[in-house]
Amino acid sequence: MLSYIARRLMLVVPTLIGASFLVFAAVRIIPGDPATAIAGEHATPEMIEQVRKDLGLDQPLFTQYGRFVLAAVQGDLGKSVRTKLPVADEVFRRLPRTLELAVYSLLLAAAVGIAAGVLSATRPYSVADNSSMVLALLGVSVPVFWLGLMLMLVFAVELPRLLGLSGPILPPTGAGSWRHLVMPTLTLAAYSTAIIARMTRSSMLEVVRRDYIRTARAKGLMERTVIYRHALKNALIPVVTVVGLQFGALLGGAVLTETVFSWPGVGRFLVEAIGYRDYPVVQGTVLVVATGFILVNLVVDLVYAFLDPRIRYT
Amino acid sequence: MGSWRSRRGAAALAVVIAALVLVAGCAPRAQEPAAPGQPGPPEPKVLTIVTGTDIESLDVHVVTSSPSFSVLEHIFESLFYINPEGKIQPLLAESFTVEPEGNVYTIKLRRGISFTDGTPFDAEAVKLNFERVLNPENKAAFRNLINTVTDIRVVDSHTIQLVTEKPFGPMLTHLTHQGLAIISPAVLRQGPEAIARNPVGTGPFVFKEWRQGEYVSLVKNDNYWGDKAKLDEVVFKVVKEDGARLVEIEAGTADVAVRVPPTEATRLRASPNIVVDTTPGLRTIYVYFNVTKKPFDDVRVRQAFNYAVDKEAIVKNLLLGAARVSDAPIAPPVFGYSAQTPYRRDVEKARQLLKEAGYESGLRVVFHHPTGRYVQDARIADAIRAQLAEVGVTAELKTLEWAQYLDFIRKPLDQNEVQMALLGWGTVTMDADYGLHALFHSGQWAPSFNLGFYKNEQVDQLLAEARNVAEANRRLQLYAEAQKLIWEDAPWLFLHSEVQLTGIRKNVKGFVVHPTERLIARWADKE
Repeated sequence: MLSYIARRLMLVVPTLIGASFLVFAAVRIIPGDPATAIAGEHATPEMIEQVRKDLGLDQPLFTQYGRFVLAAVQGDLGKSVRTKLPVADEVFRRLPRTLELAVYSLLLAAAVGIAAGVLSATRPYSVADNSSMVLALLGVSVPVFWLGLMLMLVFAVELPRLLGLSGPILPPTGAGSWRHLVMPTLTLAAYSTAIIARMTRSSMLEVVRRDYIRTARAKGLMERTVIYRHALKNALIPVVTVVGLQFGALLGGAVLTETVFSWPGVGRFLVEAIGYRDYPVVQGTVLVVATGFILVNLVVDLVYAFLDPRIRYT
Repeated sequence: MGSWRSRRGAAALAVVIAALVLVAGCAPRAQEPAAPGQPGPPEPKVLTIVTGTDIESLDVHVVTSSPSFSVLEHIFESLFYINPEGKIQPLLAESFTVEPEGNVYTIKLRRGISFTDGTPFDAEAVKLNFERVLNPENKAAFRNLINTVTDIRVVDSHTIQLVTEKPFGPMLTHLTHQGLAIISPAVLRQGPEAIARNPVGTGPFVFKEWRQGEYVSLVKNDNYWGDKAKLDEVVFKVVKEDGARLVEIEAGTADVAVRVPPTEATRLRASPNIVVDTTPGLRTIYVYFNVTKKPFDDVRVRQAFNYAVDKEAIVKNLLLGAARVSDAPIAPPVFGYSAQTPYRRDVEKARQLLKEAGYESGLRVVFHHPTGRYVQDARIADAIRAQLAEVGVTAELKTLEWAQYLDFIRKPLDQNEVQMALLGWGTVTMDADYGLHALFHSGQWAPSFNLGFYKNEQVDQLLAEARNVAEANRRLQLYAEAQKLIWEDAPWLFLHSEVQLTGIRKNVKGFVVHPTERLIARWADKE
């Protein structure tokens, strides 16, 4: 076990170096000069040159990369070229916000998606099945910004007007209370809920046709016991995998949701930074998120090796 | 195999959720203030403005954008104020006199003013601020406004003199600019970090909090030297999405919403609680030509393009009237503006001019434009393309994202690939010098702002002279002559100047939307 842990830990280092190199190269491959973008449209050539010097962009790429990695190793992700604030502080201030949104959305998507899937599968081609599958289709295809704006219109403008309230039922944008969390969570969860519901349905339909289910019924077990005790447990196995994968998708989707709802998370921070070619912010944010994923993966592998000894010897 | 994958998935999920719940739980929720702008029990008068852009910094000398100046001008004040009609009024100063020699400007400062940290406002404070702006090391964004100043003399505790080599016409207008606002000397002496962290000025509001990317809030300065603010707090909340800003103002969670899309203005006007303010902007939108290269080295081709495009139709159909067809290279609120006869659409004339220039059988050009930068920019470019096609010009559109665009168009002559490109320019100083000298003088070729490499010696002379005389009427005359020549030379396809649409709740009174795109709440009140 120890040698396995050591092997896995050693693999983390090249992965991180690879990630840092990719993000460093990626921001420089996109066209557009950060000095021009940051200095602003009214900046004189001298000012742009000065910005370029300040950012170290006049240095060879190799030197720039070396500096970036050396500083990153010491926990210094540099300063935003636009606001001059330390990137590490800014990313870690926003990260909990994005995670909060993603976790709540995932929990909601899993709960609603699995329930809808089971309901559909146990009554195939019924009204309940058809309507939840139509909803699922909508959930997959509706654009995030449209859904977000519609929710806002309903809960902040139209519904309060109908009910004769003086203020909105839910605050349209911003963060700070559970009420702020409702609409972004619903918006972000829509897609994942739909995916999970469809997955659960098809997996359940497959399982209920299996022999052991027929046996369970033949034994005279109650239908509820057959479905929840025997069928669902097995049907959930592929669903759980999908739920796990959805987490990555949720972090990606958070970028749009955060923009629509002015949610102060990492996604919005990153998108704005790309617009300004704020290299340190883009590099730092992606690096932090990538490191998080690498570490989570590492822990998963270790846990798995612990659970299933065969892994250690492959 | 299925079970291996799913168990791995389950383990992954468990780890992710455990880690995330832990981190999410650490979110600093307890100390967070309630969302700004929400009504609370003892109701202070809070004005919430939803803007599309966050401020860049709290250092008023380094910021460049109007959203930043909107916030900072409530904290910091300049020596003079230029009102939306273009009239200059004293603010921290009392008077401005040009000495007979023409290059010495005497400014008397108002007495009895203190910064909010208690430091007295005096001539030394002004000197220290201007020296900071003038020192290139400090990277002041608007250093150019006063870089003609060679000496700053403190005459007495409340009189200062600025000396330039030659008379400098735009001096007084430039002194109204926010980029020359006065910061407390006590803070200035602590260096740039302190300045960016601790904004202390003389203004009607005091800085309270900036949560980057979320909001900036300011509270009333109870010791303000002039008429005190009627509002207790002003919050500038960042909401990037146009639709979300509209929801904010419709829901009443915001009192002012900037940049209402023209397509939504009608709907917003129908609301009983909202007015849509239309203030003419300073930003002129145009297509410039690279006049050093074929086909645009020929004035007939440039004029033909001006005749080929229907500016009225663009303003009416694409901008729904929220713009003004250009009749000069600068917008009307700018000092020095002089109206010319617009190039009305005339397809026959355009064809004739192209024929004379030798392009009877047609012409192919590449037309660069940004997207998402100016109101309807990409659709305007497409409309121009379609209208040019009617006179036999095939324009190939090339769309670039803003940061890339800016870099692309500002290349020096030998590397510049632009034939024609769409751009906007806000004459933020409200003086023609910044709108004409910077864009049409041949000394300002790219990478400065004369991006089409226009050169007309007469124009050069007129603009240089207008810059170096102090007498206002003479300057107006010189600018009028220069604009006439520029209009005939047609180095641009003149389009329109933007009108700012701002949604304001009806219970808000006295709120000022400035042509410079600044939002001024110092006189505002909420009923």
